[in-house]
Amino acid sequence: MTAWDVFLQQVINGVSLGAMYSLLALGFTMVYGIIELINFAHFNVFMMGSFFALWALQAMGFVGQSHILYGLPLAGVLLLALLATMLGSGVLGVAIERFTLRPLRGVRGTAPMITTIGLSFILYNIILLGAGADSKNYANPLPNTAWMISGGATLRLREVLLWVVSLLLMLGLHYFVRFTKMGKAMQATAQDQEAARMVGIDVDKVVVITFFLGSALAGAAGLIFGLYYNYTSYIIGYQAGLRAFTAAVLGGIGNIPGAMLGGVIIGLIESLGGQYIAVRWTDVIIFSLLVLVLVFRPTGLIGRAAPTRS
Amino acid sequence: MPEPHLEPSETTPPAAMIRLHSWIPAIRDRAKSERFRPWLYGLILLFALAFPYIDGNEGDIDSAANALAYAMLALGLNIVVGFAGLLDLGYAAFFAIGAYTYGAFSSYQMQPEWSSFWVPLQWLGLVQHLTPDGGIGTVHFAVSFWLMIPVSALVAACFGVVFGAPTLRLKGDYLAIVTLGFGEIVPIVARNWPYVTNGAQGLSGVTTPKLFGYDFSVLSTPYYYLGLVMIVFLIFVSTRLKHSRIGRAWLAIREDEIAAEAMGVNRTRLKLLAFAIGASFAGSTGTFFVAKLQTASPEMFMFPVSVMLLVMIVLGGIGSVAGVVVGALVLQLLQSWFLQDLTQWIHALGNLTGIVFLQQLDLVQSIELIFGIILVFMMLYRRQGIIPERAAVTALSYDEQNAMPSRRSIEARLAPLHRRTIDPSKPILEIKDLAKSFGGIHAVAGIDLSVMPGTIVGIIGPNGSGKTTFFNLITGLTDPDRGKILLEGEDITGLKPHRVVEKGIARTFQNLRLFSNMTVLENALVGTHTRTSTGAIGAVLRLPRTRREETAARDRALEILRIFGNRLIPRVQHLAHSLSYANRRRLEIARALVSEPVVVLLDEPTAGMNPTETLELSDQIRSLRDRGVTVLMIEHKLAVVNEIADKVVVLDHGEKIAEGTPKEIHSNKEVLRAYLGRTTDAIAEAATAS
Amino acid sequence: MTKIRLSRRAFNVAALTGATALATGFGGLSAFAADKVVKIGITVPLTGADAEDATLIKDGAMLAFEEANAKGGVHGYKIVPVVYDNGTATAGQYDPAQAATNTKKLVSDPLVVANVGPEMSGDGKAMSPILSEADMATITPASTNPDITNPKMAGQFRPKGKAVYFRTVTTDAYQGPEMANYFKEKLHVKSVFVLDDSGAYGVGLADAFQNRAKKIGIKIVGRDQLNPKEADYTTVLTKIKGLHPDAIYYGGVAQAGVKLAKQAHEIVPKMIKGGGDGISGGSFLSGAGFPAVEGWYSTNAGPHLTESPKAAKFVKDFKAKFNKVPDDYSITSYDAAQVILAAIEKVAKSGKKMNRSNIRDAIQNSHVKTLQGTVSFDKNGDIKDRTVSVFQYRHDTSHPADDLTAQLKYLTVAPQA
Repeated sequence: MTAWDVFLQQVINGVSLGAMYSLLALGFTMVYGIIELINFAHFNVFMMGSFFALWALQAMGFVGQSHILYGLPLAGVLLLALLATMLGSGVLGVAIERFTLRPLRGVRGTAPMITTIGLSFILYNIILLGAGADSKNYANPLPNTAWMISGGATLRLREVLLWVVSLLLMLGLHYFVRFTKMGKAMQATAQDQEAARMVGIDVDKVVVITFFLGSALAGAAGLIFGLYYNYTSYIIGYQAGLRAFTAAVLGGIGNIPGAMLGGVIIGLIESLGGQYIAVRWTDVIIFSLLVLVLVFRPTGLIGRAAPTRS
Repeated sequence: MPEPHLEPSETTPPAAMIRLHSWIPAIRDRAKSERFRPWLYGLILLFALAFPYIDGNEGDIDSAANALAYAMLALGLNIVVGFAGLLDLGYAAFFAIGAYTYGAFSSYQMQPEWSSFWVPLQWLGLVQHLTPDGGIGTVHFAVSFWLMIPVSALVAACFGVVFGAPTLRLKGDYLAIVTLGFGEIVPIVARNWPYVTNGAQGLSGVTTPKLFGYDFSVLSTPYYYLGLVMIVFLIFVSTRLKHSRIGRAWLAIREDEIAAEAMGVNRTRLKLLAFAIGASFAGSTGTFFVAKLQTASPEMFMFPVSVMLLVMIVLGGIGSVAGVVVGALVLQLLQSWFLQDLTQWIHALGNLTGIVFLQQLDLVQSIELIFGIILVFMMLYRRQGIIPERAAVTALSYDEQNAMPSRRSIEARLAPLHRRTIDPSKPILEIKDLAKSFGGIHAVAGIDLSVMPGTIVGIIGPNGSGKTTFFNLITGLTDPDRGKILLEGEDITGLKPHRVVEKGIARTFQNLRLFSNMTVLENALVGTHTRTSTGAIGAVLRLPRTRREETAARDRALEILRIFGNRLIPRVQHLAHSLSYANRRRLEIARALVSEPVVVLLDEPTAGMNPTETLELSDQIRSLRDRGVTVLMIEHKLAVVNEIADKVVVLDHGEKIAEGTPKEIHSNKEVLRAYLGRTTDAIAEAATAS
Repeated sequence: MTKIRLSRRAFNVAALTGATALATGFGGLSAFAADKVVKIGITVPLTGADAEDATLIKDGAMLAFEEANAKGGVHGYKIVPVVYDNGTATAGQYDPAQAATNTKKLVSDPLVVANVGPEMSGDGKAMSPILSEADMATITPASTNPDITNPKMAGQFRPKGKAVYFRTVTTDAYQGPEMANYFKEKLHVKSVFVLDDSGAYGVGLADAFQNRAKKIGIKIVGRDQLNPKEADYTTVLTKIKGLHPDAIYYGGVAQAGVKLAKQAHEIVPKMIKGGGDGISGGSFLSGAGFPAVEGWYSTNAGPHLTESPKAAKFVKDFKAKFNKVPDDYSITSYDAAQVILAAIEKVAKSGKKMNRSNIRDAIQNSHVKTLQGTVSFDKNGDIKDRTVSVFQYRHDTSHPADDLTAQLKYLTVAPQA
């Protein structure tokens, strides 16, 4: 592999990583935009989603990566798993909102955020205690196809899948928010909850739908994670969560295209930083970036004006 | 401009002071109940001292010492989260810094080559010269544990400032994330700096403390007693800080930092102070912990530790010193005793009933799940924790509630509201070409105004004309695009709000920004912040000067509250949010007056008041003028403006369209057009009607 | 009203005080022991990431104690094992502070004469000074960090001078370097990229390997660190691919190892890959599975035993009793227990007092026949036998995929020179 090949490969790696982070950041940033709450539990909904999908795939008879499918049956199986996890995660998200966050709506200060931290702990400990601390081998029907590009770098099928699915989901979300009635209601509520209420928008319903969509996206990200890395475990929410959070902030929290952009940038920093500096410093680089963005440009690269609630 | 300090003799004569205190039943009652507490604490202390003799098991004493360490950490976190309201999710970083600082300077880890540079340090007993194989030898850092405790506290405090600085302008959620980030970075640095920390393998060979030749070594009991001493000290410091000028300022920041700044609290300095002091607690605890364990590794200081501390203070009671200690001890007891015993009990039950799940359930492993449940549960159902930071307040008696409001204005024999001599011939406030735009909107578009001392200026205008922005510019909440603001000839343009208060301008807010969870008296006391000067050290030491200052401040606050007769005085110990709307407006005015302003900006002071209350307040505002305070008043009730204003200024679309006496303004065509529209008939009608 | 509030507070405190006093009182009561009982501690991290392997170690020792009791005890002494968990949920793995507390508990109980454990060296560092002070010996079946028994650091780990930290495994001072020898002599590796998992064990092992490799002429093309909590190692693997060394050496445990194996299989399938005893366990095999682990080399810090005929009976008994397949550390743990039992027998026979000092001395002078051969210790507490075994994962389709004994093939003893 030439130096150019290495660079190209790392760019591919980085964009794939980034697509993953973008997906995660999307749901998170949506919820923040509506209720201005940093929902720590979001990233563990992602983790639960990967388990929901795993169980769905196992129920369909897949164990490990030994049984491969192609074409239409593959698409069918994946779609089923996707539906299962999106539904499961969506419902989980709605339940979280309804029982723990709604009673705290309007409470100033740190209470809501502390609650999401608690929820986060509850979620991953349920998995830890129930399923164990070890990594679970993922049931994966995807074939291991890969294509050579420019002599040294490879592009794998699952990377293409990841990009395609992420892009589709993001476009779908974008379309939904911009052009549908409910989407516009969401935008209105994000701008000014009281005004939205006054023009007849059922804010509670909007919040529920937002949580459902955001959590469903997290669940989808969970399935994709499992298919991509061939494993899942109770801890995947934590690490991915911090990176995805940085991506959301970088792009501008509350901003959907921002989340996409932020994700890709973080992914590239991770891969190129790891290549040309060292992997051991990635966390420090990304956190420093987070601090710098929050201090010097809190609205992010694209974001709208930072919320003024103090 | 001189910033006078309060002295009791200048405000009220001593006899009146005593009368004041005894007359207020609420304050008297609390003083009485304080007497009972020392017995309780004495009992607890006795038990704590006797504990190692009651239970001789070294392991249990060690657990107890660990519990004390966590309680100390919880106290420190309480200062940041509880007192100042800054959610710090990376507090374990300071714990790590304290631990590694001691570990670096008191272990065999760093062994630079010996040279003459080290000789004076050797003479001071800070280093030793090791020559294991002859030759030049190496330096062995052996700084005394007792010296390192304050030193690591200091080092941690410096890091507290460094980590706090980027978060100053961030809002609550973001602040938490940034602190989380720092909490992640510190262990990574520790892992990758093997020269100082031995990296992931962990420090070893940490020197144990020695007291008069007695080496603590691996015994648990001396550490336990040391821990007791430390925690008593930290409780003492926390409590003193809480009931001081600093504690009040922190509480004000926690409640509403914009209002706090507008009342004279230097947000930046106080937030950094909270971070620094909180960090210092963790720094000394880190030294204690690592000396006992004799080793330190990065895994000991990661996110789960920070969260555990958060759970401790949430459980115990955010902001409450006793609560936080109880929360920490309860959680530690939970982990080391109750859960294990409960697990045995459940296993027995499982064996009895044959349920496999129960036989295998291990509650100790699910401690984190329990943490999560505690957090959620407490936030939903008992946000104030086991021991709330504030005891419930006695309700007013039937008579007090139904007391007829008194309409008296201030008695002339009370001292003047501020102590400066003002030249009556020169304008006290001059505003020249003040302007501010937000994007394309010209909120204030070049206003000139000159205000003579001892006058009431009414500022009126339709909604959106820029009145509140005008006030924000004068008080420093917003920076103007151009223009000058001169107070008694001094340029105060662009000064931060707390400096503006120092100079002598105070304000109230249109939408009321009281400190809801502070009492009436505390709200008023915040107003004294700029006229008092006790810092953190003074607060802890409580020297006579500080005590005098506190007394004077209290007297001053009560005196101002008395302006409103018996409306606020009976309610001094009540939380601000429990007051009626009108009383809240009055409190906000009182709070502004406490800082001895020469100019007071009232933003719609009578909003929401009925005609009787409005009349009463108008009288009181007029008395203010008679006492030498200049008042700028935004008002929509033109009757009030007519009654008491010496001059009226009319704004429209950010510009001053008229200025003059109330009578002059009434017949001003521009004003009428701005309020009523362009119809000529309307103008004519209004003109003839006035 | 004030009074009511206050007395409720006082009541709470009194109740808490009373409850605590009762609890500690009961704790004291249990000190009433029957005579001719001897307690042996077992301290392993049963909570967190190391739980699975820790349980196998605990079971190994427990089997030895139960066999002894079944024979009527040792010279009339009933053996009572005292199990303490060195792990906490907060740490998510072993916790040195908890290990210290556990050791202090053991030391406080006069009936405890020796200990089996710890599994992790991080715990060992905290435990050793306390044990030294109490003159109580522990025999670890799995802790491989050389510092604790290093005579140069004796002042830190055994201030009283006598060895208290004994091992039935050898240390990373041998495991790492001997693998380097193997790489060079048997696999003809000329260049290697070294990785660790940022943990205490992994960093130490990788360092030991790297230093030796450099010395014997293997080129170190790079060294980096994996974050066990992270999912994606493609960045570092791509970097390694770009540098094309002959081999990768991974110092660390299964948590990162599993992900490394899976992703390395896709990115650098042809490269030689090896690690230490951290990946010689069941969790690595079941987590990564075939084909990912195919071809991975690993070592154990001791001779290979589970397939030897001597150990066959042990394996059978272990499987029958615990329904699990033992690993090599179950055997070293069983052997550690045997050494302690032998020491108890020796002290009992000699007529000396049955206390921990005498047991320690007896252990120091051990010459005990165990499953791994004759165990004896040098003056630092290290086992005299420096054998390191090399294994390789090779898929044996005739056995279930997670049967460690079948899928991890023993190759040979690592070259010691």
